[in-house]
Amino acid sequence: MSKLYRSREGDITAVDTKTQLSTLGSETAPGPLVVPAGMKTLRAVITAFASNFAVAADGTILVRLEGPGLPEGPETIIVGSSGAATATGGHGSFTGNRIELNLPVTATNEILLFAENAGEDLGTVSVGVTLEFSS
Amino acid sequence: MSRTITVEGDINAIDSRVLLTGQGSVTAPSLVVPAGMTKINKIIASGGADGLAAGQVVFFLRLGGSAVLGGEQTIVFGGEGSIAVQAGSDAAPSLGSYFTIDDADIDIRASDSISIAAEMAGVDVGDTTVGITLVYGK
Repeated sequence: MSKLYRSREGDITAVDTKTQLSTLGSETAPGPLVVPAGMKTLRAVITAFASNFAVAADGTILVRLEGPGLPEGPETIIVGSSGAATATGGHGSFTGNRIELNLPVTATNEILLFAENAGEDLGTVSVGVTLEFSS
Repeated sequence: MSRTITVEGDINAIDSRVLLTGQGSVTAPSLVVPAGMTKINKIIASGGADGLAAGQVVFFLRLGGSAVLGGEQTIVFGGEGSIAVQAGSDAAPSLGSYFTIDDADIDIRASDSISIAAEMAGVDVGDTTVGITLVYGK
């Protein structure tokens, strides 16, 4: 069977604060992200984020994967970092990243996605995560 | 053997699903999957914003339509952030790179139409342009 891709996104507004990613743009309540039927492996995660450069600070972004869809337990992954020398005039583009994982998953069970800004407060950070499943 | 489809379009509102149906000077490229193609093997995606509003967004792609056999596939591929400059100053330009998935392995059905849409989620950063290339194969 081919791969399937499921995504969520959300905004981090405070440092060192676990923030659930539970929306998907125009879908404000897409519901739980459930491992699709027949899928056995989380092959990779694809992540993208952007900070608003509103604070002269530097920090990193973590993504946390949790829930009954992960039989081996939760995982935490560093997905990037950002910084700015002044709180005005910042403008930056961020490219997505695909990180291979190969984690076992339990089909039809939920995976909860969270993101976190560690280090210094970056202001507001939007984070998107795609889970790449395979059978 | 492989074939490609490239589409692009402007996203000018936050949290809005925008169908990408143009291709520069070609206003309506065919979105019918070519005969014999059974997979999307590769995805190339890029987005950029003018930064005229202070905010931050992530870009994501929606692949759907009758040609996509596993239901709608959603994939994040980049982001953009911007904050207002000091009075009398100019912001530096921002170069958007491209993101690729080399083994996308998405099942499709030839001769059906594919729907390619994109969104920006977060806080509006102004006008954005997004381009997507899909590489079909077997």
